[in-house]
Amino acid sequence: MKTLLLTATAAVLVLAGCKKDDAPATTDFQTLKRTVLVDFSTHVALASYKDLRDASLTLNASIQALETAQTGINLTAAQNDWKAMRGIWEQCEGFLFGPVDVNEYDPYMDTWPTDYTQIDSLISSRTPLEVTDIEQIPLSLRGYHPLEYLLFGQGGSRQPGDFTPRQLKYMSSLTTDISNTCTKLYGSWAGTPENYAVQVAQSGTPQSAAYPKMQNAYLDIVDGMAGICEEVGEAKIKDPYDARDPQVVESPYSGNSWTDFENNLRGLQNVYLGHYKTHGLGLADLVAAKNKALDTKMQGQINAAISSFATVKAMPFEQSILSAAERSKIQRIMDALATLKTTLEDELRPFVLQYITD
Amino acid sequence: MTKGALILGLFGISLLAMCRKAAPFPEADYDQRLTGGIATVFDESAKAFTHAVDGLNSRDARVHTLGDLAFEQTFVAAPASVNGGLGPVFNNVSCLSCHHNDGKGSPTLGQNNSSMLFRISVPGQNEYGGPVPVPGFGTQLQNRALLGSRAEATVSVSYMPFSVTYADGETLELRRPTYRITDPYTAYSGTAFSPRMAPPVFGVGLLETIPEATLRSFVDESDADGDGISGKANYVYNPVTGQRQIGRLGFKSNTADVLHQVASAYHQDMGVTNYLFPNESCAGQPQYVKLSDAPDLADSTVKAVAFYLRTLAVPARRQVADPTVLKGQDLFKQLNCSGCHKPVLRTGIDQTKPYLSNQRIQPYTDLLLHDMGPELADGFTDNYATGSEWRTMPLWGIGLFERTNGTAFYLHDGRARSLEEAILWHGGESEKAKEAFRKLGKAERQALLRFIKTL
Repeated sequence: MKTLLLTATAAVLVLAGCKKDDAPATTDFQTLKRTVLVDFSTHVALASYKDLRDASLTLNASIQALETAQTGINLTAAQNDWKAMRGIWEQCEGFLFGPVDVNEYDPYMDTWPTDYTQIDSLISSRTPLEVTDIEQIPLSLRGYHPLEYLLFGQGGSRQPGDFTPRQLKYMSSLTTDISNTCTKLYGSWAGTPENYAVQVAQSGTPQSAAYPKMQNAYLDIVDGMAGICEEVGEAKIKDPYDARDPQVVESPYSGNSWTDFENNLRGLQNVYLGHYKTHGLGLADLVAAKNKALDTKMQGQINAAISSFATVKAMPFEQSILSAAERSKIQRIMDALATLKTTLEDELRPFVLQYITD
Repeated sequence: MTKGALILGLFGISLLAMCRKAAPFPEADYDQRLTGGIATVFDESAKAFTHAVDGLNSRDARVHTLGDLAFEQTFVAAPASVNGGLGPVFNNVSCLSCHHNDGKGSPTLGQNNSSMLFRISVPGQNEYGGPVPVPGFGTQLQNRALLGSRAEATVSVSYMPFSVTYADGETLELRRPTYRITDPYTAYSGTAFSPRMAPPVFGVGLLETIPEATLRSFVDESDADGDGISGKANYVYNPVTGQRQIGRLGFKSNTADVLHQVASAYHQDMGVTNYLFPNESCAGQPQYVKLSDAPDLADSTVKAVAFYLRTLAVPARRQVADPTVLKGQDLFKQLNCSGCHKPVLRTGIDQTKPYLSNQRIQPYTDLLLHDMGPELADGFTDNYATGSEWRTMPLWGIGLFERTNGTAFYLHDGRARSLEEAILWHGGESEKAKEAFRKLGKAERQALLRFIKTL
């Protein structure tokens, strides 16, 4: 890890001087290709997953506080911490490849729909609800959404004092289970045995078993961007929109859907720009070095997609799909996402295939 | 020369020209990377099996996407507003939870990502020639259940290690599985038990399009050519068409049609009823509660998933010009691995599916049944398949299993942890090829394995 950081720092220093002002021709493209991967690993992936782990621990603490005292303050704090963690996770969905996919961490946290029939029967049973018991139950009873269902209630109607002791125990064990998964996920990138941050950063070298070619790492990144674009535009929004059915909306209890979708796009943007909370070099710099027009187009379309959410946020997603006036705005969001996806697949992917051949 | 002779002469020349036989396009001129012909995708990542074929129109692309999304959907207990109808007994909760990344699964039992199911039967044949259900259990054992319901039984596995020695003295440890059925919900009287691990799902559209005559031409039941390999077609009832047809899918070529495969997987693996299988899988058992007459799944969803699978592309081969790989490729032929794992086939002409039609493909299978010897035998008969016969597993994509599944497992029940182990398990009709492999020197064995990894 230390070596990686040193490499990253050195590369950043080398490139910092010639980043924007110099003509692209003078930029050492070979170095840039490596730096973008190093910066993606450190500034985006590792930083986001670390944040996710920390947020899961915060949520765990606030659920335990709620378990101790069912006050309005504790309930609101727990709900806010749920939303904060959800915001980070949705950004992490901008790069759904590597351990989150191969080790199947995603379904342990984010299985949907919520199996409220089985949740209710679990709560009303005498089955023990320790963390080790939660680890044995189906995934549709684990992760963010069952927690959301209990924490916010149908239609966001939850009041302090509503919770039974078994519900609180279930929620507390659920958050521990979630933070265990988040810790493993971060560990898969940060440390042994997988060291996935190194695998990505050193793709195309013997240090990377996952990526014999550097191109493979770039394709995973670009395909991850296109993938989330498709998931938001063609499933998360389109399915409830087409069905005109509020019941098939994801995150319906917290009313958090629009924020979820926007954060998915912010995650995509993080990947493209190479930043999350700290700034590195991103795909944007790589693209601009060879094709300024494509970079301008990419940045414009990402911004357009993100800002399109501002037009609809006044009304919760599950209500707006039933409103004629809102539906035309939603259609424009889906159009913006489709445009972006086309650029990702038909221009950015070919760019990678053309310029990153090693 | 008279005018007449000239005309006759010209006529003769043109006749001769027309008579020149069309020679086949030389095999060497094909791009060896194009495993699925036009339906090939260039991706060697974990997502290599998840791409649509090229050339779908926008409507078909949308149906593919809908099938893709449905394939990922988790089912939950009814009543529910979304994806209700799971169970009450089941093996897993979504297509994807067994077929990781549209690929092969893992041979664990009862866990969230376990990819095993268990075919069971008592002796005899049902009215269509298929296996006879075990009273109270059916033809598949569901080892999981909704909270408050009881699984049909618990299945556990233990592995006994043993060594195989190569001719050069090197050894390799294999593991032989033993399965136990415990805690059945009622007296269990099954005689045949066949554990099976989820196979990859891409490329089935191409396999379905291979003309039946091609498959029949490989049949050699009495081994007339004396190479030790017979090859037998299975003929199975297809509820989609209501006819008995040649089987192509399933570990015993026991399914003729992708749609049938999808509908029965929803029904048996997840307990999700649909228009082809409208009755709950546990009907007649104590945990059966009738909630609704309507199928759990929309007809359009079953069909979209079938369309999705039919239009999944096949990943391209890699390193096809590498000298070691080429050496391995020669060995594959010399050892007659290719006797069953047929490298090159051609799909039939189907103008409604230009993206699959008339393609030179490299599936490395003949889709026929072969006796694989006592070690792999499961004793489970299925139509014309005996208890020691298995369908030749297509090898395309096999070199990518490590990428798509994290840890790769091979053979019908995942007992093999490497390609090398998988080869050494071969017996029966493939005994000769396996023995020849065992006698190879280390460099040659590595070359063969290297070649298979490029598939």
